[in-house]
Amino acid sequence: MAKQLVVDPKKCKNCRTCELVCSFRHFEEFNPRLSNVTVFQYEQASISVPIMCMQCDEASCAKTCPTGALQRDTDGVITHDVTKCIVCKMCVSACPLGNVSYSPAKRIIHKCDMCEGETWCATYCPSGAISVVDPNEVPDKKQLAADKMKATLEEVHA
Amino acid sequence: MIEAGNGWMGTIIRVNLTDGTIRKEPLNMKSANDYVGARGLGTKYYCDEVDPNIDPFSPENKIIFMTGPLTGTAACSGGRYDVISKGPLTGTIDASNSGGHFGPELKFAGYDGIIFEGKADHPVYLHIDDDLVELLDASELWGKDVHYTTDALVEKHGSVRVATIGTPGERGMLYAAIMNDKNRAAGRGGMGAVMGSKNLKAVVVRGTGGVKVARPKEFMTEVAKARATLQSHPVTGNGLGALGTQILVNIVNEVGGLPLHNARDGSFWDKADDTSGERLAETYLVKNQGCFGCSIACGRVTKVEGRGDLDGLGEGPEYEAGWSYGAACGVTDLGAIVKCNFICNEQGMDPISLGSTVACAMELFEMGAIPEEDIGFPLRFGDTDAMVKLTQMCADGEGFGKMIGQGSYRLAEHYGHPELSMSVKKQEMPAYDGRAIQGIGLEYATSNRGGCHVRGYMISPEVLGLPVKMDPLVTEGKASMLKTFQDLTALCDSVGICLFTTFAIGLPEIAGQYREAVGSDESDEEILLKGERIWNLEKRYNMAAGIEADTLPPRLLREALPSGPAKGKVNELQTMLAEYYEERGWTAEGTPTPEKLQQLGL
Amino acid sequence: MLVKFFATYRQISGCKTCDIPAPDDVLGLLRELSSRWPAFRTLVLNETGDGKGDDVIIMVNGRHIEHLDGVRTKLSEQDYVAVTPLVAGG
Repeated sequence: MAKQLVVDPKKCKNCRTCELVCSFRHFEEFNPRLSNVTVFQYEQASISVPIMCMQCDEASCAKTCPTGALQRDTDGVITHDVTKCIVCKMCVSACPLGNVSYSPAKRIIHKCDMCEGETWCATYCPSGAISVVDPNEVPDKKQLAADKMKATLEEVHA
Repeated sequence: MIEAGNGWMGTIIRVNLTDGTIRKEPLNMKSANDYVGARGLGTKYYCDEVDPNIDPFSPENKIIFMTGPLTGTAACSGGRYDVISKGPLTGTIDASNSGGHFGPELKFAGYDGIIFEGKADHPVYLHIDDDLVELLDASELWGKDVHYTTDALVEKHGSVRVATIGTPGERGMLYAAIMNDKNRAAGRGGMGAVMGSKNLKAVVVRGTGGVKVARPKEFMTEVAKARATLQSHPVTGNGLGALGTQILVNIVNEVGGLPLHNARDGSFWDKADDTSGERLAETYLVKNQGCFGCSIACGRVTKVEGRGDLDGLGEGPEYEAGWSYGAACGVTDLGAIVKCNFICNEQGMDPISLGSTVACAMELFEMGAIPEEDIGFPLRFGDTDAMVKLTQMCADGEGFGKMIGQGSYRLAEHYGHPELSMSVKKQEMPAYDGRAIQGIGLEYATSNRGGCHVRGYMISPEVLGLPVKMDPLVTEGKASMLKTFQDLTALCDSVGICLFTTFAIGLPEIAGQYREAVGSDESDEEILLKGERIWNLEKRYNMAAGIEADTLPPRLLREALPSGPAKGKVNELQTMLAEYYEERGWTAEGTPTPEKLQQLGL
Repeated sequence: MLVKFFATYRQISGCKTCDIPAPDDVLGLLRELSSRWPAFRTLVLNETGDGKGDDVIIMVNGRHIEHLDGVRTKLSEQDYVAVTPLVAGG
């Protein structure tokens, strides 16, 4: 099972370093619109939440891809093969959390690939809001994902 | 030679508000190289294009928004931009620096800066959406505050970043600020009023492009190094984020440097703790928050509840506003201090100048120089209600509030006591007493935009011991340290990173990130020299504009501190000033010599 | 002798100020604080326990001890001492 990025919204300071380093790692430019992680800010609730691919066990992006461009690799990460991709954007619609992106400027699909193990968003996050966990070392990956969303929703609705 | 694509977008927007024309010009790469960016580059453009003796509110004046080569990159705290024009409060060159997310968004849209010329015949705002740049009607926003305007423009244009003025800026209130992302301010010197004089309400920007750097791998190595240094330092790694800037109140008070009651009653306050950062954390603090790309996250999200008229949600106060509305006015009600800061943010006003001007009015009232009928109510030190009321009146331009909006110098002069304005070159000094902390007095006297602490923050060495501990009570070594700080700060502001990074990092980290971004092979010293060039450019402008000599209010030079650890002290400015001019290579009168200007290529 | 705590040190001491019988010098005070509140040990003293920690500011009667006699600065009952972590503002 893939290592997973986990977010602690209470720690996020809305600085968007994750967006910057993610786009730089993948496209060599600082451009939040090309980032695979996006920070959502809820001003009235005074909270911000980075959202990124959760490498779902049942990945609807991969399931819906007609050309097999989205595949799970040996580490469990859903990777995107640009050479196979026909940019039909089915995956963008299929992802329930909007974590597969289409760039109108570059006309490509992009998504989190865990930086081939380097996970820059977590490495550079200054507040520890993004971290990497190994689901083999925590009881239940689904529980983990649910906890993460629950914490977020609680904060936003508080 | 540096070029577009290496930290720079390579394009600036020139907007003529008089005839509504908009042009895109290539960035002047020679100026960008020589004057670094943001504060330096904007000042260079300004000085080249505008007569120094211009009336700041005339249509012939210009106002420039400028980013730096590190703005919008992952450089540590690299989200800054500057607004440059002649400051209406001081008449000096003014470069007002702000964080948030606006500056980076401008670069993502493809532009390094914007030059506004002329004056629109009706309220307008500039809308930038990548390649689209247009002036739109702002009639319905005129008369609205910063938060309303920002919300309305986001509602209309979607995910945009907004820099706007409130109603004080529209009216030409002399220290009106430009606010971006609602609560981040290009705060000092009245840049908001210059915008207002042009009928320019706001700048709205959305950008979907990216910023590239010259040497990507090396750049990220420098970034990682600088960020690691920031995160492992007690101040930038933990202190500022956890406690905010207001944590300084108790410490500065402890050294006897917290000016009390318009500095009339010395600078040690037994009630300081009531207004401290510790107290704020126990009461109104919701959380801390960072600007773009910032690991420090010193911003305070604060909320006042259950206090009736004082209730609100916003940001701040910073240490300076905590002092101007606290010790300077003698007010201990932290809820009221937070509220006054909210009003400043919501309407776009500089809380340092505003609180300090209220304090000046309090002294003038107590000595009988201002009759009660002029104000409409008594105005004594410590009167919380009067302070909040007057701040609101100033925001609304009502009654005596209009007088407050002129700043303390014009107020005190009007009532026959200009010496009681705690200002330098007509701009209010911030929250440190130059009698207890000698070097900060020298900084106030020599700052190129009048009373200001963020041109050479001598509190670092004199109080905190960063990078070395200097005795605040002596004058030795202050001139030399200040010169270095001022040049380094000019560089730091101009590359586009936050000054607060310099609590932990210095020239090697700033120069390192700059070099790899723009692809320069200059040495650290050559890069620092650009900071000195910027300082001398600003100074030369001020001389051409006929700005008065470097000095301090007579109170700091003649009235010895009555109590505290610095009891008996005045600021020994003349001693330090002579050394300072020598360090700068200027004449004994403080004029840059032809040799110095030539050395700097001016 | 009055000792004032600022910033995060208040969470360790549990108070803003306290009265402590004056030790001989600042080093004695730092040792006393470390023994009363063990969490202070690694903060106010250096590793060997014979000097002050890197990130602590100590002021005696409003003067930074750097400008007095360092940790050998003598203390008496009439003095007041402020102990604070290194913080900054602006």
